[in-house]
This record gives sequence, C-alpha cells and structure tokens, in this order.
Amino acid sequence: MAQDQSSGMTADSPGTAATRDPLSRVALRQIALLAIAATVGFVLLMAALSWASDLTSSSTTSVGAIDVETGTITLSLTQEPPQLDSTRLTDSVSGMILGHVMEGLLRYDINNQLAPGVAERWDIRTDGATFWLREEARWSDGEPVTAHDFVFAWQTAVDPATASQYAFIFYVFKNAEAINRGELPREALGARAVSDLELEIEFERPVAYFDKLVAFQTYYPIREDFYLSRDGRYAADAVDLLYNGPFEITVWVHGAHVRLEKNEHYWNRDEISLNVIDFPYITADGNAALNLYRDGQIAVVNGLGAESLDQVLAERWPVRRYSDGSVWFFQINHREEHPTSNYNLRKALQLVNDPGELVYKVIQIPGYTPGESLFPTWLNGQNGLFRQEYPAPTVTPNVALAREHLEQAKRELGVDEIPPIVLLADDTPGASKQAEYYQNRLMQTLGLDIRIDKQIFRQRLAKAEAGEFDLALYGWGPDFDDPLTFGDLFASWNLNNHGEYANAELDAQVRIAQESTDQATRMAAFGRIQEILIEDVAIIPNYERGVLYIQDPRLRGVGRRVVGPDPDYSRAHIVAD
Amino acid sequence: MSTAAFEFGPGDFERVAIERRTQTLSRPSVSYWQDAWRRLKDNRRALISLWIVIALAFFTLAGPLLWRVDPAAQDLDQVSQAPGLPQVAVIVEPYVPWAGLRATPLAAPAGGPGAAAGAGMPTDAAPTGLRLVEPATTQAVRLAWDPVPGATGYQLYRNIYDTEPDGALGLPVAEILDPAQVSFEDRLDLEAVPYWYSVVALDANGAEADGYVTLRVETSRVISAAEAETLGWIDDAAAVAIGDEIVLPYHPLGTDYLGRDMLSRLMYGARVSLFIGVVAPLLFVVVGIVYGSAAGFIGGRVDQLLMRFADFVVALPFLLFMILFKIAFGIGPGESGIFPMLVALVLLAWPATARLVRGQVLQIREEGYIGASQLLGAKTTYLVLRHMIPNTMGVILVTLTFAVPSVIFTEAFLSFIGMGVAPPTPSWGSMSNEGLRTMLTHPHELIFPAIFISVTVLAFNLLGDGLRDALDVRMRGQE
Repeated sequence: MAQDQSSGMTADSPGTAATRDPLSRVALRQIALLAIAATVGFVLLMAALSWASDLTSSSTTSVGAIDVETGTITLSLTQEPPQLDSTRLTDSVSGMILGHVMEGLLRYDINNQLAPGVAERWDIRTDGATFWLREEARWSDGEPVTAHDFVFAWQTAVDPATASQYAFIFYVFKNAEAINRGELPREALGARAVSDLELEIEFERPVAYFDKLVAFQTYYPIREDFYLSRDGRYAADAVDLLYNGPFEITVWVHGAHVRLEKNEHYWNRDEISLNVIDFPYITADGNAALNLYRDGQIAVVNGLGAESLDQVLAERWPVRRYSDGSVWFFQINHREEHPTSNYNLRKALQLVNDPGELVYKVIQIPGYTPGESLFPTWLNGQNGLFRQEYPAPTVTPNVALAREHLEQAKRELGVDEIPPIVLLADDTPGASKQAEYYQNRLMQTLGLDIRIDKQIFRQRLAKAEAGEFDLALYGWGPDFDDPLTFGDLFASWNLNNHGEYANAELDAQVRIAQESTDQATRMAAFGRIQEILIEDVAIIPNYERGVLYIQDPRLRGVGRRVVGPDPDYSRAHIVAD
Repeated sequence: MSTAAFEFGPGDFERVAIERRTQTLSRPSVSYWQDAWRRLKDNRRALISLWIVIALAFFTLAGPLLWRVDPAAQDLDQVSQAPGLPQVAVIVEPYVPWAGLRATPLAAPAGGPGAAAGAGMPTDAAPTGLRLVEPATTQAVRLAWDPVPGATGYQLYRNIYDTEPDGALGLPVAEILDPAQVSFEDRLDLEAVPYWYSVVALDANGAEADGYVTLRVETSRVISAAEAETLGWIDDAAAVAIGDEIVLPYHPLGTDYLGRDMLSRLMYGARVSLFIGVVAPLLFVVVGIVYGSAAGFIGGRVDQLLMRFADFVVALPFLLFMILFKIAFGIGPGESGIFPMLVALVLLAWPATARLVRGQVLQIREEGYIGASQLLGAKTTYLVLRHMIPNTMGVILVTLTFAVPSVIFTEAFLSFIGMGVAPPTPSWGSMSNEGLRTMLTHPHELIFPAIFISVTVLAFNLLGDGLRDALDVRMRGQE
C-alpha cells in the first residue's frame, strides 16, 4: 500500500515516459497473479466437489441399480406422482405407480393381452355384464376385495362432487351421464354387488369393448370404510391408500422418494419376483438420468432425447424402443372468428406440412414415425391392424398447390394478408423445436406470420380449452385398446375437441361406432371418420411418438405397453450375471 | 557638503510596467477531460476493453451488412454442424418413395438347432445377405436382406461406431413386424459419415434372436436440384445436371439445432443485447439524474419524501413487474418482450443513480465556490447547469458504464428463461438456453453465445473500472 502511494507520487511528476513501463509491469503482474489465483482456485474447487461427490455416492452405491440378493431395483421418476386417487388420476406417472399397487377386474399381461385380475371369470352381454370375483383377492390389510369395493369406487368417480375428468369413461353404464350431471343420485349407477363376489353391470347402450374399459385405472376398486376413515385425505400419503395390487407404497416423501415393496397379501404373490421397486430420484432432466445410469444408480432411462443419442452410442449401451401409442397433430381452431376456420387456409397448411421432414430432420429420434392419420398404426381393426384394413388417404406435400389454396383463402376471408397465426405449444424443448421449425416452414412456403405461444402443460390445456389458439401442437394417447379412444375425439360434443370442430357426418359415424356391436360396421365407421378428418382438414397429423430407452441388461421382463400402466415392472425379474 | 539638500526630480523615477502574469506555465494546460483521457489510455485493461466494445459495435451494426445470411433460415441438411470447412453435395434425382422389397416368408425348419418348442425359429438365427439396394446417400439408405426361416419380423439397428467387438448395435431405427418385408429405407437424420447397420430377426413372440448381421455403409452427401433451388442455394435448377457438385452454404461458426447460421444469429442476437444494454441505462440514468439532483438541491422534507419513494422503488421485484408490464401492454404470445423489459428497467433501475447524484449534489451544495457563486447572484439554473451537473458527470458516467453490463446480463438472463425475445428472433440469452441442451454433443451451440455474453460483460466492466479511475480527481496520479 505504502509502496503504491510513493510510486504514485513520482508518477505525478512530468517524467511520464520513464514511469509508464513499471506501471504496466505492475498491471501485468496483477493480471498474472489473478490468473494463477483463479486457476488454482478453480482446480481446488473441482477437487473439493469431486471429493464431495465421492462421499455422497459412496453412501448410496451400497444400493445400486440392481440388487440381486434383496430383489431390489432402483429407478427414477420424471416427476412426483400428482394424483394417486384412481378416480381423479389423469397423468401417466401416477398411472404407472398405481398400476403396480392396484389391480382392477382385468389387467394387461406381459404380452399386452387382457388377463384376469380380481375377476376370475366374466360374461359380457349387449345389455350388461357380470363379473365373478376371485375369493383369494385381498387388500393389503388382509381384508378380502369384494364387489362392493368396485361399486363404491365407480360411484365415487361419476359423482359430480369428485369432478373426475375421467367420469365419461363410465358413460356406458346406465344412468352414469345423468349422475355426473347431478340429475340422479350416485346410487342410481348401473352397477350392483349381487353378493361379495358377484358384480352386476347394466349398460346404457351396447358396448363392444367393455372388457378393455374394465382394465382402465379409473375402474380400480376403493374400499368404502377406508376411504371414509381417511376423511378427505384418501391417497394423500402412503398411509392414506389401501392396496390390492402386487406392491404397496411404503415410502412416499413428496417430491423426493417413492418406494414400492411387495404386497404379501396379493393373491398372485408367487408370480411376483421383485421385492422392492425404489424410486429415490425424481428428476425431469434427461442428462441427470443418464448420469445416474452411467454411475450404476438406476436401472432404466426412459425417453432419450435426440441430443443424448451420440453419448449413448459412444457409451455402447443397448438402446431399445417402443411406441407409446400417442398420436401428435395440429389441433386446428374451427371457431368462426379464427382464420383457420377457412377450409382453403387449412388445406394450404395441410399441403405444405411434410411430416417426413419433421420426423427425420427435426425430431431425429428413431421410433417416431411420420403421421398420416388420427388413428395410429398399432390399433387393431377387425382382423388385422386397422390401418392396413383402412389405409389413410395420402397427402403429398405440394407447395404450388398450397399457394393457390392460400390465395383462395385470402379472397374468401377478404384480406390481403392472413393475420398472424397463433401456434400454441408446450414449453418443453422438443415442442419448442417443432414450433420453431413450423414457424420457419410456414413463413418460407406460405409467407404466414406464426406467433409461437409457449405454455406449461396445464396452462396450454387451459388455453386450448378456452379456444385461445389458431393451431396447437397436440398429442393424444389411448385410454383403452379400441379405435374409439381416438375415433370420438372430434365429435362435436367431445370436451377434448378444443377446436370445436363440428361435422354432422362425422358425428353420425361416431354414433355408429359407439353403439354398434358389429366390428365390421364399427371399423367401416372409423375408416370413414379417418377420411373425413383428412379430407376436411379437421386436423393435420404430425407424427406417432416412439420412445427410446436404455435398460440394465440384468433386468428382464419389463412390460412396455401402449395402453395401461407403462412401464410395468411388476412381473420383472433379475438375472444374475 | 555634509548636509547638502538632495531633491528628487521626476527624472529619477521610471514607470514600472504592470506585471500581469504572476506565474508562467511551462507546459500546455490540461483540462479535466484531457487528463481523464490520458489516464484512461495509460490503463491497458480499459483500453483493450474499449477496443472490444468498439469491435462489438462494429460486429453488430456492420456485421449483418457484410454477412448477409438470414438468422431465421433453417438449413435442415446441416443441423448442429460444428464450425469447419464448407461442405460439398452432389446433385441427384429428387427423392421418390420406395415400396421396398418383399419376399415370401420362409417356414421354420423343423427341429432346427436351438429351436424351442413352438418358437419356430432358432434363437441364434441371423439374417444373411444384408446389402445396399442402391448407393447410400444422405437422402436415403436402402437396405435389403434374405428372409430368415421362421422369423415374424425384423429389428434394424444403426450405429455410428463399429458394432464390434462387443456387439453394441446402436439405435433401433426400425421394427418391421411383417415377415414378408425384407427391406428397409432409412431417412433418419443421415449425415455423410459411415454407419453400421444391423438386422436381427424376431421370433414368434416378437423377441429378438441372438444372431445379427452387420453392414458398414458409407453415405455420400447429396441434394436434389429442386431442393437446392427452393433453399436458394442455386439460382436455376435447370442449370445443374445430375452428378454436378455444389458447395453448400458455408457456416463459419457452425449451425444450431435447426440448421440456422450461428454467426448470423450471434450478430442479430448482439443487436438485441446491445440495444437494450445501451438504451435502458441511458434512459434510467437520465431519470436518475433529474430525480437525484432535484432531491439533493431542494433538500429538506422534499428530499426526504423523494428519497423514501426511491427506497420504495428499490424494494419492488423486477421480474414480477416485467411480467405485469408484459400483460399490461397486451404483449401477446409470440411477441417480443423487449419493450416491457425496457419499461421495467427504466421504471425500476433509476433509484441507484438518483441516490448517487443526490449525494454528490448535497456535497457540492456546501462547497465554497457555490456560496461565492450565489453571492455573485447566480440563479439556480446556472448553479445546476454550470456547477452541479459537470461536477457529478464523473459519477454519472461511471454509473452508466457499470449499468450497461448489468443490463446486458439481465437481458440475457430473461431471454434464457424465455421472458425476452420471441422466436425466431435470436438473442444471446435464448441461444445459450437452446445450446444448453446439446452441451455435451454439440458444445459450440452454447460456447459461442456464452463467450459473447462473458466478453461483453467483462469488457464493459473493465472499461467502467478504468473510467472510474480516470474520472475520479482523488485518484489522480495514484496509479
């Protein structure tokens, strides 16, 4: 300090040329010292961090991804299960967890075929159905599972007080729709426990796919005395649930940890090989999950992104794929005040859309396939696959023709320029990328000004419901294994028809598909619906989603499925290497 | 002669010339600003920073005139390209969909080796004759193979590394569930690099056999004339013949995840960053000067009142107001959030300057020369303009140079979290956010915008540091 002062004094004197050199030398020395200090500091920090991470990881490696001796597998969740009350559940993470701890009348087996669950045998007629429950089915407290438990759960689900989004899935039951509208008491539901083990169901209309409906998660049983004893806290915590499935939740630290352990009261416990399925990590970050897998902390990484594929290949991990069954498309707003209500504008959009380019050059994930129809390729038709029996009308991208339609649209709308079009999208990286691709594509080909409205999932849904969009990137996953799960989506009365598309012929075909029990008639109706949707450009299909995942080779027998809880670890087993 | 009268006459005196100059300066006079500039020039860090700032201004203003590439144009054939040399492509026929090859499925050999009961196909069955149907290009790779007896379908894999020695087959690019289909067309994100394709047969349960066959495929970069014309790479599709080579658009700093030119995006991104970085501080510093000097000069209860209001403004959360303004101005989805950001910055960031200026003014007000000036009858406006503002100028300039980097950083942060610019407008912050996802595989997409943000912020900070030293009279001659 003193030194600086004195040298400063001399610097004030006129001889600047002589003092400039020592000055810059001081500055250089300062910079050099700073650089050295920064480097040393950085190295020390990194060393400390790696030491700290060694400390923390060594405390958890004792568990590892797979523990053969205790029959434990460790996995990660992308989010905390938001809702484990089966009557209110809507999301796939909760669906996956609940699929392990609950069992409906029927369930999907490892080959994705319907298998008996709590029901031992059943009889489905045109006016109703009867299920006979197995005697040995037990709740996790040892009490038997009875027909009353199903009736109570179903009545709760259609009760307007529950406000279940899936209440409509019971509308095939007699009086269900009226109960949900509050016109009838919940006891009027067409489901009755004849005895503890016999369940009688009355239909509102004939239904050809009832066995597939019954496997859906909203149909899981709930025991009345337990539900009431929780006093509104049912499914709020691990102790607030009663389980009748192969596993039970023993630990549920919200936002941090979920642990499933084998349910010793499960009737088919001999078929279950794993003892513990542990989810100690909850992260939506794909890179974090990959790092956990590399460190041997988790056994499965689901949904690899395009950006991590090179890393996965370099690590030489075996990659698997499956289709998650969902179809993604442009939901179009057909309300009159939106320009997209004009057929020619929609046609122009359809003609410049190139799903092949989107999938192969933008999304770049194997397993995605270019979309051609609302009905995905995996759907079963009458004898074989639906899409082989009723191929979708092909649309070849044609920019010149699209421009003609655009001019026509401008004339019809009476404008020189189409007003900016709002494209509603999720705020996920993948959806943003697609939205920006379409923004450029539609600008280049049609000169359309696209405004991207990125919203979090919940907000996007709210905006879609309110009709605040022109186009929306939209996906739909199947609820049950029948083309109707997609087919009635654009019926004018469907609440998920957010663009308010209304077409009398399509409505009529949906009625046929819902009410007929003849598969040939139904499939023909779906075929016609498929045609109408493309010809009238009700939607523009983009892609069918595939999922890439990596799985520890020692873990076998994990069920991946389009409909039902996915992934299904309940029948998985470990092979020692 | 001792007392001889001595009289002085006018002739004895000489008029002395009036000496006006009491002091001579042997060197030229140095004004405050000249001195500041001299001392800034002596500060090498500050000088380098100044050059960097000038270079940035040139990069932003003149850059787009020299490098005429649309920052929103997507070159989907060169996605996530690292910086490097220009690529060459061969002109080919336009892509025609391919029906593929079909073969009669062969029945399983009865009791073959390793055949499980009912499975039909040996578990180690491997397809044979994997071949290219036509030369592999980046347009499509068309493969065919001989049917495997008893197979119900095939699974195709693609790797960018050799599958040997450990049999890592790579990405499952396709699952063919039709045993008659013995061909596959790959169009997924093809690059001009070698690929290892493998085919595995599926048994009756849809499970994969253990055997596989691998083929190494070299792809060449191609493009159809029509495509090249649509993208504006050639002027006339008729002017080029099949087999001609054309040079693809050159991206010196590579491309991002949608094939957009990084250099061009950085230039346009700098516009946003520097615009808001310069305009916002200018505006709020002016507001701060007026407010602060008013408070300081008037003093008393007015000062108390004004400064308590300034304290109140300091406590307001910036992000919240930014969102509120966005809604209040009716900035719809997909529209740029730059204007509300500017308004929020101006409305919320002035108190710091106001406080500094007030402090200075309070101090100067008590100086002797102000009293002297007042005694000589100077009016308030004269005092403020002649004495107060010039004497606070140093402080103001320093505040300004420090405000610039902090605002640039705020803009980058807001764009990073998606509150700033709307796509396709680039900004360094939004580019960093996009680059973050591909940090491990394509680091250049993150590194370039990050370097630009860091260097700009550092340069402005060092420049501000140098200016503070240069403008502070008390620091005079201390370095």
